[in-house]
Amino acid sequence: MKLHYYPGCTLKDKTTGLDISTREAMKRLDVELVEPDGWTCCGAEYPLTGEKIAGLAAPIRVLRQVRDEGGDIVVTTCSFCYSVLKRSNKALRDDPVKRKRINAFLRDDIQIDPLTKERTTGFADYNGEVQVLHLLEYLRDRVGFPRVRERIKRDLGMLPVAAYYGCRLLRPKEEMGFDEPDSPHLFEEFLEAVGCAAVDYPFKQECCGSYLAVSMPDAATEASYRVLRSAKMNGARAITVTCPLCFYNLDHRQETIKTAYLDFAGLPVLFFTQLLAWALGVDKALLGLGDHKVPADALFVERPAPEVRT
Amino acid sequence: MTAKTPKTPKKPKDKRIGLFVCHCGVNIASVVDVEKVAEALKDYPGVSVSTDYVYMCSDPGQQMIIDTIKEKHLDGIIVAACSPTLHEKTFQEAAKLAGLNPYQIEIANIREQDSWVHSDKEKATKKAIRIVKSHVEKAIQNEDLAPITVDVNRRALVIGGGVSGLQAALDIADHGYEVILVEKAPSIGGKMIQLSETFPTLDCSQCILTPKMVEVSRHPRIKLLTYHEVDSISGFVGNFKVKIRKKPRYVDETLCNLCGECEKVCPQIVPDEFNMGLSFRKAIYMPFPQAIPGTYTLDAEHCLGLSPVRCGKCKDVCEKKAIDYDMKETILEEEVGAVVVATGYDLYTMQALGEYGGEKYEDVVNGLEFERILSASGPTGGEVLRPSDGKVPKSVVFVQCCGSRDTEHHLPYCSKICCMYTAKHAMLYKHRVPDGQATVFYIDVRTGGKAFDEFYQRAVEEDKVLYVRGKVSKIFKEDGKLIVWGVDTLTGKKLEVEADMVVLAMAMVKADGIEDLLRKLKIATDIHGFVAEAHPKLRPVESLNAGFFLAGCAHGPKDIPEAVAQASAAAAKVGDLFAQAELVHEPTVVPVNDELCSGCGICVTMCPYGARTLDPDKGVVVVNEILCEGCGACAAACPSGAAQQRNQTDGQIFSMLRAMLRE
Repeated sequence: MKLHYYPGCTLKDKTTGLDISTREAMKRLDVELVEPDGWTCCGAEYPLTGEKIAGLAAPIRVLRQVRDEGGDIVVTTCSFCYSVLKRSNKALRDDPVKRKRINAFLRDDIQIDPLTKERTTGFADYNGEVQVLHLLEYLRDRVGFPRVRERIKRDLGMLPVAAYYGCRLLRPKEEMGFDEPDSPHLFEEFLEAVGCAAVDYPFKQECCGSYLAVSMPDAATEASYRVLRSAKMNGARAITVTCPLCFYNLDHRQETIKTAYLDFAGLPVLFFTQLLAWALGVDKALLGLGDHKVPADALFVERPAPEVRT
Repeated sequence: MTAKTPKTPKKPKDKRIGLFVCHCGVNIASVVDVEKVAEALKDYPGVSVSTDYVYMCSDPGQQMIIDTIKEKHLDGIIVAACSPTLHEKTFQEAAKLAGLNPYQIEIANIREQDSWVHSDKEKATKKAIRIVKSHVEKAIQNEDLAPITVDVNRRALVIGGGVSGLQAALDIADHGYEVILVEKAPSIGGKMIQLSETFPTLDCSQCILTPKMVEVSRHPRIKLLTYHEVDSISGFVGNFKVKIRKKPRYVDETLCNLCGECEKVCPQIVPDEFNMGLSFRKAIYMPFPQAIPGTYTLDAEHCLGLSPVRCGKCKDVCEKKAIDYDMKETILEEEVGAVVVATGYDLYTMQALGEYGGEKYEDVVNGLEFERILSASGPTGGEVLRPSDGKVPKSVVFVQCCGSRDTEHHLPYCSKICCMYTAKHAMLYKHRVPDGQATVFYIDVRTGGKAFDEFYQRAVEEDKVLYVRGKVSKIFKEDGKLIVWGVDTLTGKKLEVEADMVVLAMAMVKADGIEDLLRKLKIATDIHGFVAEAHPKLRPVESLNAGFFLAGCAHGPKDIPEAVAQASAAAAKVGDLFAQAELVHEPTVVPVNDELCSGCGICVTMCPYGARTLDPDKGVVVVNEILCEGCGACAAACPSGAAQQRNQTDGQIFSMLRAMLRE
């Protein structure tokens, strides 16, 4: 089956590993991911800061495109894109004033077909018809973890992995409705479904430092360090993320963290889809491990799954 | 039950009506031209006398009404003044003194419904005239009525055997009335029996409660029913019928001699509710040594199976033959005249505050658990030892307002007792572990109560408890230590405190599952599920549903002295009720005219009080006039006009409308 998939900008540039592994993994679950035609940046943080209505235009345009292509669900893997799309969608569903103003603005969009040069305009109003799901949510609610288990080809040998939710995925609870922000378990359920052992640690939903990496690098370093240290101290051999920015702070900046905190010896950072893809039998070359600053190759040991799995 | 009309009614057209318009100082007179109102009605059909006065409710005002009724031989009067909820009774009494039937009094509200809500004097005066005219039309059709009377059953039911229920039961019994005290747990004592010491005097909670428990159990007028639950209730104030479910204890309390042999042989180990799960009990157990009644109880849920084939060890060793596996649940019926609801409270679950880790870490405990740890009768014998490894905690963090005063995520209200018991906890901890560090995170410290603030000051100054003003964001374990993240809002700094143990002052909430019982009693609750009082200031211990009285934390968070005071107040109110020779009910109810009633039953579904039933034999609706509150819902719904409210008939309402709308 075909499923609309919104990769977001970062996955096309800095964190291709997340994009490739997602596509390959979903193929193994008989789902072909299709990108909405002409998608743009979701606006990252911007649309939801303050009450600026114009900022909602970018994410709503994407969702309207999904609807116009006949989709009723769009999945994302990036926590930021997920947060922006889902919250913009909800804002449009709940607030008639925003709905009216945004549609008044977007109605006169002009789309030019690159081949025929045909111009389309006068778009139908978008009223929040599309459902925005995170891939983890899609796997749990639509595919089902038991079905994921059935398709497992490789054994991850109960690799102890820490699930890192970060700040975006769960909050605000009323809008995301994804899991309990203070005691989440969805990510852990996922890890167990693919054959890992989920490590419980208290920093799973603390901030990695986010954009402070730009303005206050020391604060971001400390925040990332505490997350990594806590995961490692509780026995994790890797930490999994859903967010390119978390990946950047936890992986790309690990050298800086190690220089600032001498007790820290390093911890590989993985995208959750890399574990999924590997377990489902995807080739190691297609996991996108080349993006990683902290080598993670050694974690992927070729071990066929036991014959009978329930 | 009687409703009689004392004298032959006069025909409406012959009636002599008097009108008395009140100035209410300037409350009415500044907006309504009261003299003009009195003048305008002078020649209105039926009005014999029309006058005004500055304060009708004053003694001279009332005297004027009495004298005028007598002098002018009036058959009915209208007082144009404030809302009838305020002075209707006053004027009814005055009319009675003048020999007039009190139901011939009409109150025309020209204050709340006119002068207070308008400013244009001319229009307001016109409106007042219309209001008064409509009441004249009603008054000339009013009939003489006599109140409905009913006998009172002078026995009370008290639901709940905590300190409030015990106090209410004792007081009512000491007034000379019989009391049935129902408690669902195996013993009376409630939450108070679990407490260690009580603020602000630090006297032992058990030592002050057990004498009351004993007194209740020995009182000749109190029938104590523990391990019982109220199953259903029917009837009305003064005449309730209650069904009470006796849960099988599987131990005959009259035979059990507390030898304890059964407990020794029982193989089933269960977390002990009395110790908040911090220790274990057997499936056959006595909740605590001073439990009343003094008997073992077999908890069938955890027993291996009530059969000598499956286990039967306890039955084998019981020399008194007190254990009976064949005991069945039974229902007993009682008749009472009043009910005191003293069903207590529960604590907000620690699960609701996942970020504090109460469900995850053994050393994060709630206030009641810490009470057990402090208690001499508790699992540690009163030594402060933490649950995970039995070590003495050298640093304890107390977190106040866990769930309370959090409008966004949890409960908006203040749980009222936590500031005081946290000060007590910290103080008692310091007394037992003098070199330990007690840190309290608080939003405000609220110490309203006699000798309360002095107590808190003592904790700070003498016992060196460290108070930090700020909330806690997260509690987690790192390197085997509990880490508390919080903020000190006085310095604006983020804090990270290491703790061996954390005590969460969880909010007080409605008793778990109490809504089922309250639905059966048909008594209202507030939005948080606490029982609602009839009036927040003037009727604080009564329910709106007549015959029900409230005591203790069922009504909202309160400390022991307040709960006891409310229990005594509720008992006094029960005494008021029982002291009456008979109960009086307003006669302005809605009877059924048998000849018009088609038996459609629409009014039965409309009635919120269950006063109307369809008589299947006669094919008409019958009314229990004592239950009818005269709301008129049935009268409005009745398609045939068979349901007519006394002194508010369809005829009267239409006459009023005509008078109101006529130019």
